[in-house]
Amino acid sequence: METRDKSPRRLRGALRVFWRGLREWCGDAAYEQYLRSRTTRLSTEARLTAEEFYVERVNRRYSRPNRCC
Amino acid sequence: MKRVFRVAVWTVVAAAGAGALAKIALHRGEPINAMWFVLAAVGCYLIAFRFYSAFLAARLLVLDDTRATPAERLDDGRDFVPTNKWVLFGHHFAAIAGPGPLVGPTLAAQFGYLPGTLWLVAGAIFAGCVQDFLILLFSIRRNGKSLGEMAREEVSRRGGFIAQIAVLAIMVILLGVVALVIVNALKSSPWATFTLAMTIPIAMLVGLYLRFVRPGRVLEASLIGVALVLFVVVAGQWVAESPSWAAAFTFSGVALAYALIAYGFAASALPVWLLLAPRDYLSAFIKAGAICCLAAGILFVRPNILMPPLTKFIDGNGPVFAGKIFPFCFITIACGAISGFHSLISSGTTPKMILREGHARMIGYGAMLLESFVGVMAMVAACAMRPGVYFAINSPAGIVGSSAEAAAHTISGWGYALTGSTMTDLARSVGETTLLNRAGGAPSLAVGMAQIFSSSIGGPRLLSIWYHFAIMFEALFILTVLDAGTRVGRFMIQELGGRVWKPFGRTAWIPGMLLSSALIVGMWGYFLYAGVVDPLGGINSLWPLFGIANQLLAAVALVVATTILIKMGRLRWLWVTVVPMLWLVIVTMTASYQKIFSANPRIGFLSFAQTLAAQLLAGKIPPEKLADTRRIIFNQRLDAAVTAVLALMILVLIAEAVVQWYLLLSKREPATLHETPYVATAWGENYSGLAHGDD
Repeated sequence: METRDKSPRRLRGALRVFWRGLREWCGDAAYEQYLRSRTTRLSTEARLTAEEFYVERVNRRYSRPNRCC
Repeated sequence: MKRVFRVAVWTVVAAAGAGALAKIALHRGEPINAMWFVLAAVGCYLIAFRFYSAFLAARLLVLDDTRATPAERLDDGRDFVPTNKWVLFGHHFAAIAGPGPLVGPTLAAQFGYLPGTLWLVAGAIFAGCVQDFLILLFSIRRNGKSLGEMAREEVSRRGGFIAQIAVLAIMVILLGVVALVIVNALKSSPWATFTLAMTIPIAMLVGLYLRFVRPGRVLEASLIGVALVLFVVVAGQWVAESPSWAAAFTFSGVALAYALIAYGFAASALPVWLLLAPRDYLSAFIKAGAICCLAAGILFVRPNILMPPLTKFIDGNGPVFAGKIFPFCFITIACGAISGFHSLISSGTTPKMILREGHARMIGYGAMLLESFVGVMAMVAACAMRPGVYFAINSPAGIVGSSAEAAAHTISGWGYALTGSTMTDLARSVGETTLLNRAGGAPSLAVGMAQIFSSSIGGPRLLSIWYHFAIMFEALFILTVLDAGTRVGRFMIQELGGRVWKPFGRTAWIPGMLLSSALIVGMWGYFLYAGVVDPLGGINSLWPLFGIANQLLAAVALVVATTILIKMGRLRWLWVTVVPMLWLVIVTMTASYQKIFSANPRIGFLSFAQTLAAQLLAGKIPPEKLADTRRIIFNQRLDAAVTAVLALMILVLIAEAVVQWYLLLSKREPATLHETPYVATAWGENYSGLAHGDD
């Protein structure tokens, strides 16, 4: 009985982990990661908006080799 | 008891892998099933990962999970972002897996399935994975420094400069050759051209959505984009069936080359968020999906391999490209076995995101194993089609003729049965007017993939849709490499130019940006144009040049790794990098020599130029072809010069490194490592890094 109760919870947990992983893999969660980062939390400078962060991120990302042959 | 069980399991895995490998190596006669390839590759990969990578991690590199990585120490939420192991594995794999592991094995299939498959598996295990793993770890211990910076610090200043120039040269050749692959896939194909052209406005739409509507919501924007891309794959059929629309989207190779050059310039000069980034997001999702579909398709269909283990073209007279198995098989298959370009990724974004040193084993070594498996799947897809069809698609008109009957006659004469109607029917069934003379690997791979997919879903009715889906998938991520590479090349030119004249180095300065974009596009565009007008199909000259350049960069990475290992005092295990480095130097130097000096005009750049010059002098060239012939002669001499310069640069770097090794080993110079000092991690053992900051 107990095992049966645990199964949906485990499945939900696994799906949640997969969803988080997918969002982090594709860059969907990048702004949230930026807000959570230690430097951002401790910095006295104004935080970037989601739009500013996105533009800055893609500019930086595509200024060095990031796709191979 | 557990130990006995573990030993039993690994013994079974080893026996299965070795047995399957023996089966594909020794099999003769009847077609062999593709499952043997899967079993051999997976068995070897599992053993290599379990034992060889563990040895590298424990004995050679002594990975230390208590040591804080740059992602922990410098966490800024931008470049340095602590990332979960599996998420970073996906990132790293998406970054290293480009068109190379698909196109290279497809081209090398002209030797038969055996040489390429063995090189894919062994090359990855002993060379490619080692390079990626070591460079990743060394970069982690140097705050994510690039290969060029490490070469400058650990080998010599000149070493760093050579690495930088080599990267730029490789970039130019790479972009030229991948653009040629697209041109050969799209020429005279309105369906494929329409589909790929439509991905540009779709990417811009996604870019606008991500910038203004829902900033940074990559997942939902990409899903919309992927749905639209799949729709235009289907809509391409309506375009191909409409005479007026089909005419509007039917282009010659030269016209497509000009269009790609203009596109490359625009992608480099336009804001990244508008075209480049959204295209990359779409490409990443479609790439992941298509590779999973191909793996599932092979497992489901279990096709028979119709290509023999060795073809008659091991003698060096292959129609796809000329040259014997040694050295040409080993430079044709670069990315699936070892790719120097990977060292740029391993010393780029990945080391700045890794959570623990221990993860470098799975991400550096493991991701390369997966890429090698992609190469094996491409080999299976290419070899599952009838050899005659394979050669008809991949051979240039100059060798097999430009009509179906002529091609069938020539190819049947080689011993690979083919009729003209087979090619006509096949072209019709995939929605094309012709599939002949499409050198470059993309169309034949697309036919192979489409046959596997349609055997799983839809049957022959959906063959044309699957073919164009496969072409779109290949062309989409080749275009991503093209625009991302053009932009990075632009920055490299600006950085080099900035040393001479400072304002040129400012990436935001518009005249500098336009000039450097024009320069990089002009350079790869020249190689592309030369390939398009080449009577031998272009791939014959350009793909080996790209392979040589890429493998030379791998040799640079292994030279840097060897120097660091000497400084670390790991002399006993130096063979780990020295053996693959020596192999690469031997392969690339032999290939360079043959490409420059071979007396066979199909191999040697200079002898081909000389043959044409002699024909020119003897008045054997028709007047309307005089200008083209002079251009081809110049291009062949240019290719020879580029090959010579690349080989010389690497020889200089190796000479410098050998002097450095002598000084270090004879204790005439202190072994100064430029690692960052040890800092203990503050994270607990179970910290996974997923949704970093929540924990």
